Amino acid sequence: MSDQRRVVVEANNVWKIFGDRADEAMAEVQKSNISKAEVLERFECVVGVKDVSMSVREGEVFCIMGLSGSGKSTLVRHVNRLIEPTSGTIEINGTDVGGLNPEELRAMRADQIGMVFQNMALLPHRTVRDNIAFSLELRNVDAFRRAQAADAVIERVTLQGYGDRYPSELSGGMQQRVGLARALAADPEILLMDEPFSALDPLIRRGLQDEFLALSKEMNKTTLFITHDLDEAIRMGSRIAIMKDGEIVQTGTPEDIVTNPADEYVADFVQGISKLKLVFAHTVMVPVAKYEKENKKLPALKNCPQAGPEDDLDTLLTKVVDQDKPLVIVDDGKPVGVVTKDALLHAIRGET
Amino acid sequence: MTTDNTTGPFHEFADKSGDYYAKTFLKIQKNELSKWHINFSAALGSFIWASLRGNWLLFWIAFAVDLVTLVYFGAAYKFNNALSGVLEEVAKYTAAGNTAAASNKQLLIERYENWTSSSIMTAIIIFIIGRLFIGWLANRVYYRQYNTWRVDHTKRSGLKANRLVMMTVILAMIAPLMIYRSTQFAPYARTCVKQDRAIAKGKDVSFQAKFNCKIISDFPTLIWIDRPDIVEYPRAEDGTRYVKISEPTNKKPVTLHTYVSGSIENGVGYLTAFYGYFFDGIVKVLTGLLNALEAIFVGTPWPIMMGVLLAIAYYAAGTRITIFVGSSLGYLALFGFWQTAMETLTLVAAATCVSILIGLPLGIWVGKSKWGKAIVTPILDVMQTIPSFVYLLPAIAFFGIGVVPGILATVIFAMPPMVRLTSLGIQHVPESTKEAALAFGANPRQLLTKVELPLAMPSIMAGVNQVVMMSLSMVVVAALIGAGGMGFLVTDALARTDTGKGILAGVGIALLAMMIDRVVQKANIQ
Repeated sequence: MSDQRRVVVEANNVWKIFGDRADEAMAEVQKSNISKAEVLERFECVVGVKDVSMSVREGEVFCIMGLSGSGKSTLVRHVNRLIEPTSGTIEINGTDVGGLNPEELRAMRADQIGMVFQNMALLPHRTVRDNIAFSLELRNVDAFRRAQAADAVIERVTLQGYGDRYPSELSGGMQQRVGLARALAADPEILLMDEPFSALDPLIRRGLQDEFLALSKEMNKTTLFITHDLDEAIRMGSRIAIMKDGEIVQTGTPEDIVTNPADEYVADFVQGISKLKLVFAHTVMVPVAKYEKENKKLPALKNCPQAGPEDDLDTLLTKVVDQDKPLVIVDDGKPVGVVTKDALLHAIRGET
Repeated sequence: MTTDNTTGPFHEFADKSGDYYAKTFLKIQKNELSKWHINFSAALGSFIWASLRGNWLLFWIAFAVDLVTLVYFGAAYKFNNALSGVLEEVAKYTAAGNTAAASNKQLLIERYENWTSSSIMTAIIIFIIGRLFIGWLANRVYYRQYNTWRVDHTKRSGLKANRLVMMTVILAMIAPLMIYRSTQFAPYARTCVKQDRAIAKGKDVSFQAKFNCKIISDFPTLIWIDRPDIVEYPRAEDGTRYVKISEPTNKKPVTLHTYVSGSIENGVGYLTAFYGYFFDGIVKVLTGLLNALEAIFVGTPWPIMMGVLLAIAYYAAGTRITIFVGSSLGYLALFGFWQTAMETLTLVAAATCVSILIGLPLGIWVGKSKWGKAIVTPILDVMQTIPSFVYLLPAIAFFGIGVVPGILATVIFAMPPMVRLTSLGIQHVPESTKEAALAFGANPRQLLTKVELPLAMPSIMAGVNQVVMMSLSMVVVAALIGAGGMGFLVTDALARTDTGKGILAGVGIALLAMMIDRVVQKANIQ
């Protein structure tokens, strides 16, 4: 399944080494491929991001998942060059971010990229409206158009009536809506979300996740979404990159990650994840011919429960419960495969 | 006796006479020790007991008590010696029939007798009370030592004779010289200078006299330097200045202190002679500022000024403080301080303006740059530690006497908190907020004006408040070099020992300070 959408953000072999002797360490790494521990020992430098390449396509929500210290925040700060890579390039719509001069860089940050932070980082001395219009103000947009644009986004994030309040008067969830609105105000093409919902309590987080998904689909934003929570990554991401020790260990759709973990580390992570919504009929079904060869003949189609190939395990489960006939997967009116109860139970346990 | 289990460690710690200490420590633990409990062997043994037991804290206390006792006895001996000297003289006079001279000495005799007996009394009192105190303290301090020993058994415990060696060394180093010093009248510094010259000329001086001069008098000035050349900066005929160096007329060597202070004066003289235009420029700018402010504060007729001040107080700080400001202004006006108070306000305003103008950018620099911090912070430390009076001298040296040097001295005194609090405010802006601003495309100027300064504002305003208050206190001191205002009334009253006027002016200054402080603080909060 190749994606025809345009690549918006592309990272090529990005390295970030922190420390006074980062350049020496980088040269040594490129020459003789020494390990992180060796870099630390010989150059007293820490490898933050290790040889990361990725491409994010238009309209995609690209989740970067990893534990703290895995380099995910560092990586995403390369996109708007809050952090300069030690080696490698980042391209946004084909423009090399590293080659921009300071003025062009500021213009790009203000016009094309919106960022949301875990701790909101709102300006306490400004009202909600002025906070939201901050990026426009930095670009010297006049006050009238600023207020109009801000009010438009305030409506989008359902904060009507709070425009003239101060951030400290708002709850955590509402503050993060302001953070989101601020990122959306200049109508940027790209959103960088740095663990935006991690500091919120679970119920509010859930609500904001849904709202954000709806918003991003509607506004067609390309999003890099950082999280340390695999559940969140699976809920939000059209694709997920899993980071460990500065490296991306696996990139793929949520289903890919859950059904085909690339290594032990990812497998460990995925273990506790419910597969009900992630695995679909086409991966668990057995072709009709094979089923009939191994078992007896399929009963009449109209007596069997039926489902489509894109239905998830949860849907299949509700159809097979309380009866003993096998489940037939029907595509375009023709039976294409069979899911037995045993196959279903194995799939739920993650044994495909 | 209780079981070994509870008192065992006590015994092990105390070693000799363990039973006694076990009993006492148990009492301390049970909070049963009598208020007046005294360890008599400690009271008698004093510092010897303490050093045997290895309790050096108690040793120093006990040693000090006995040393002070001996020093007072030594002083009694000294006065008694002096007394017999005087009595001998009197006997000589009476023998010669000079009764007038003899009775003249009567006062001296009485004084020496008094001093002798009071020294002996003091010595005895200190000895008795001191020893009782040591006896009272001993077990309590010893119990603390036991507690540290419980944690770490290598700490001092028991009774060890070898500690007496250490004690003897300390005693030998300190006691003889202290006691000798107490029996001698210290020679005057001039006597010692004369003695030095006599030695230089080859005269014989007794060892004791030399010893007294070098050791028990002031620290001997060891460095003598040839007198530096005389440097002057006279004007030539065309009006330009030139440097004129001449041989010193007096060839006697001088001390390090005289030499260096002379060099500093030469340097200051050089700067004022050849870079006078620089100082004149500063004076011109400040005089301009002062004239403008004076036109506002002093030039405005008092009814308008009073109304304006009350209005400011009302809008900035509310009714209660307005009433306070009103009555304070009433006090100043009724006692005839209005004009001088306004002059003082002019000075404070000028000093505050200059302090903020210099302090704010400096504070931003210190807050944002490692270099700024490394360079400015030590200078600020020095500025704040030097007593405020010291600033007056260089101010006079460069700017003469008057209002401008007064203001400059005030600025030096009052500016440090402005710099410190500004940089503190800037440094405390959360890194994440700055990052957010950068992520939305802020340039360095926007980052400063739209994020850092607004977030640092509470701290900066606290700095302004400090500057105002410190300016006011320094402006009063600056009256010594002719800055005028309320401070002049105080220094004038001081010079004439005119208590009443001084107190009235002092109260006026206090009211002025409280007025400004309350209003500025309230305004900051709102």
